[in-house]
Amino acid sequence: MQIVIDGKTCDAKRGEFLLDIAKRNGIDIPTLCHLDALPGEGNCRMCIVEVLERGRSRVVTSCIYPVKRPVEVLTNTPKIIKMRKTLVMLLASRVPENDMIYQLCEQYDVKPPMRFTKDPTEECILCRLCVRACEEIKLNAISTVNRGITKKISTPFDEPSDTCIGCGACAYVCPTNAIKIHDKNGKRYMWNKSFELLKCEKCGEYFTTRENFEYVNKQLECKEPKILCDKCKKTQAQENLRDIFSTYEM
Amino acid sequence: MNDMDKKSILVCCGPGCLSDNSDEVLANFKQKLQGQDIDIKAVVKGTGCQGLCEMGPLVRILPQDILYCKVRAADVDEIIEKTIIGNDIVERLLYHDTDSKKGVVSSNQIDFYRGQKKIALRNVGLIDPKNIDDYIAQDGYSALKKVLTQESREYAIDEIERSGLRGRGGAGFPTGIKWRQCAEFEEKPKYVICNGDEGDPGAFMDRSIIEGDPHSVIEGMTICAYAIGANNGFMYIRDEYFLAISNMTHALKQARASGFLGKNILGSGFDFDIEIVRGGGAFVCGESTALIASIEGRVGEPRAKYIHSNEQGLWYKPTVLNNVETWANVPFIINQGAERFGKIGTKKSKGTKVFSLVGKVKNTGLIEVPMGMPLRQIIFDIGGGINGNRKFKAVQTGGPSGGCIPEDHLDINVDFDSLAEAGSMMGSGGMIVMDDRSCMVDVARYYLNFLSGESCGKCIPCREGIKRMLEILNDICCGKGREGDLELLMEIAETVEEASLCGLGKTAPNPVITTLRYFKDEYIAHIKEKRCPAGVCRELTSYHIDQELCRGCGLCSKQCPQDAIAKRDKYFAIDESLCVKCGSCIDTCRFDAIKVGGRISCK
Amino acid sequence: MDDERKVSVKKMSDEKITTDISFTKEILTKYPKEQRYLLAILQDIQRHYKFLPRKSLSMVQEYFDIPLSRLYSMATFYKALSLKPKGEYVIKICDGTACHLRGSNIIIDEIKKLLDIVPGDTTRDGRFSLETVNCLGSCAAAPVVVINDRFFGKVTPSKLKEIIEEYGGNGDE
Repeated sequence: MQIVIDGKTCDAKRGEFLLDIAKRNGIDIPTLCHLDALPGEGNCRMCIVEVLERGRSRVVTSCIYPVKRPVEVLTNTPKIIKMRKTLVMLLASRVPENDMIYQLCEQYDVKPPMRFTKDPTEECILCRLCVRACEEIKLNAISTVNRGITKKISTPFDEPSDTCIGCGACAYVCPTNAIKIHDKNGKRYMWNKSFELLKCEKCGEYFTTRENFEYVNKQLECKEPKILCDKCKKTQAQENLRDIFSTYEM
Repeated sequence: MNDMDKKSILVCCGPGCLSDNSDEVLANFKQKLQGQDIDIKAVVKGTGCQGLCEMGPLVRILPQDILYCKVRAADVDEIIEKTIIGNDIVERLLYHDTDSKKGVVSSNQIDFYRGQKKIALRNVGLIDPKNIDDYIAQDGYSALKKVLTQESREYAIDEIERSGLRGRGGAGFPTGIKWRQCAEFEEKPKYVICNGDEGDPGAFMDRSIIEGDPHSVIEGMTICAYAIGANNGFMYIRDEYFLAISNMTHALKQARASGFLGKNILGSGFDFDIEIVRGGGAFVCGESTALIASIEGRVGEPRAKYIHSNEQGLWYKPTVLNNVETWANVPFIINQGAERFGKIGTKKSKGTKVFSLVGKVKNTGLIEVPMGMPLRQIIFDIGGGINGNRKFKAVQTGGPSGGCIPEDHLDINVDFDSLAEAGSMMGSGGMIVMDDRSCMVDVARYYLNFLSGESCGKCIPCREGIKRMLEILNDICCGKGREGDLELLMEIAETVEEASLCGLGKTAPNPVITTLRYFKDEYIAHIKEKRCPAGVCRELTSYHIDQELCRGCGLCSKQCPQDAIAKRDKYFAIDESLCVKCGSCIDTCRFDAIKVGGRISCK
Repeated sequence: MDDERKVSVKKMSDEKITTDISFTKEILTKYPKEQRYLLAILQDIQRHYKFLPRKSLSMVQEYFDIPLSRLYSMATFYKALSLKPKGEYVIKICDGTACHLRGSNIIIDEIKKLLDIVPGDTTRDGRFSLETVNCLGSCAAAPVVVINDRFFGKVTPSKLKEIIEEYGGNGDE
């Protein structure tokens, strides 16, 4: 099946999501809550596009819109741009001091109105990527809490979570850098919990929490793991390979 | 037949009458008629809502069809003596016509009932919902019998499709098409769901049907289940509706015992059963995909409907989900035929629609009218006009997803398309009448405030958009509205409408959009003149007593919870520093002497 | 003062849980281990304890083998569930549209004056909780107030005062 996106004819499979097809064909659709590794959720709505079908146009969310028939898609119509602008304005009103959203404002030429109350400490846009990353690792330390305009992300009862291992996956996937990891004096602080940091045996740098280290090795069924940071692990592996090759060449 | 001269005493036990202790009236009738050795055969029944809540508790006596209003437990003796034993009428308990002030004996002579046409409510208020025999006596379960034993699956779908029945839950999707599409999917199992999570503020239609005629819903669902090939059904009922849940639980048990549910229904080899799921208290769960999530035991967040629940619904299996009123229509259509149903209503909106007519209208109550009836007729004939003969301002339909319709649109016909054209929607059937003492900015603010707590909060336009629109409206209502606010409201409203994920978000701006469209003057009065014309927004309102009109009766002073009204010389005056603008005085003054002004600091 | 109240309420509820934990156990045996019964179980627990005690939540968590975060998410999403203990008398003020138009917000203000609580709160002595509810279907009697299961229609500020006094709340705290 073929569909047309912004004038470009693209191959598509039935049931494939619009965003994926566009990406594959080098057509840029903005997203905030999307990661290629996770299925689309349609929370941020930045990826909205117009779909023309049987002479009718409708606005759909490209990350979760499955293609069923050959359609024409427009990703940058004045209507879509206007809505994205309003979305950026709403986001900027929510997280007024956030750099990432500020950049979006510049890009879309949006000046957030001054009339709204501001919370300069707020940085989270509730895209839910952190929750989903935590779910993927099967730790489920955080979730969305409440509903409506009081919705937020937190650990149960806002207390240190039993299951959090301080791995930082949530912070890693966050599009607005809203989740802060504080590493200080051999300790890591996040989600109201403190963790012991481990030093790499080789380079001596702190690189992860003890909980994370143990969790990962348990998952990999690694009995006597070496405490190595990713960088040193790589060098070690290269060295090992070199050794093997050199014996082979001999 | 003996039963012909047997009198039936129908005591309304709908939500309105119950709140006014109709259960005591019912108990009293039962006790008196059992206790005494009266040589009159009379059946006493507690029924579902009889409609005219305003005049409750209601007691209807058949076969004479006498309607008594505002009946107290203490009136029971007199009714038994005069009407049950004798053939007299208790004049003082009759409905008194608002114009002629004359007592009206029978319900079908009352304006409130005259224009109505009952299909979904055909048994509500007439039968004892706890007695399946009562339902069967009204042709109950004969439609199911017809489909199972004489006709086919195809027949049921055809009839529903030909009848033109559209979903009564809000959007008005053709029910027959929904069934047919679901029937065509081969994947099994399939499910049937009844949406009884009526969360609209100011709506109690579904509740009344479940409470007053639960079997009609069960029968409708069972017919559909047979037609599409489902064996399991779920009835999602709002948890606060404990009477509805209790009546439905009872009805399900009786239906099973009588062979209308369970294994091998009526010997046809078809198995189907229904389970009740109690709603968790979330308006958004009225949205079908959120409701499905809730049944699955998850947080009630909607998902995009690019794949319909017909195909992937409950547990990603083909599912038909209809609302309570839609289900209640089904047995009627099968029994009476698609043609007969199709003759009622308009070309594109067939049949009838149930509304809860509430707000500042004289005859508050539950009504069912043919589609296409003009709004004016509903409000002024059935509803009897505005309370206290004040001035009509607007009528709100469709709940938080709907809009406010002004006076110059009162002649539009009530059907799916005309309401949508006016910027509102049919919704599930809340109809809220507003008078000149209702502030339209406050109404928009009220709905947005409601939605700010009820949105699931998942997607950005709905959550952030509602939050900011509410912030602007809150400001306008307390005199902090600014220039540019209305444009900003519209900008946000348009994006929320288009870009939100689910129906709740897409329709959330409707109260704002319609009030801006029809009542922009009121917004401007708030923003520019710092004045609330209706006298509702407290910061923008002051009350004073017109000395010319005041007769010095002092009723207002007695009603005032703040003791803010005192006699000065001959007349009464309001102490502005104490007044909280509750409006008690305006409502009590019979001389219209209390006047509303703008913000007091302007003095 | 505020902390004092919290402590006393907490004590009260904790005591209840230690004596009453059997109820949660009993509830759990009534339902199969399927996620779809989760909401029903939480509702039953809520109905019994008038809130969701922490201990019950961990029992549910264990029974279903699901993350606590998911339970917490549920408990804070559905309005029928509450993590805070409710007062002896739960005052529900209907804030459906009909009640709103007929002045339910004035009733809410009046309660605030009388008992010094806003919707969602419980009085310091743990006697009264205030909630708003959507629509109770008694729009003819608007505005409507329900205390525990008792119904009051066409409530005015002065009528409300009498009702609250009847329940022993005179507002002179």
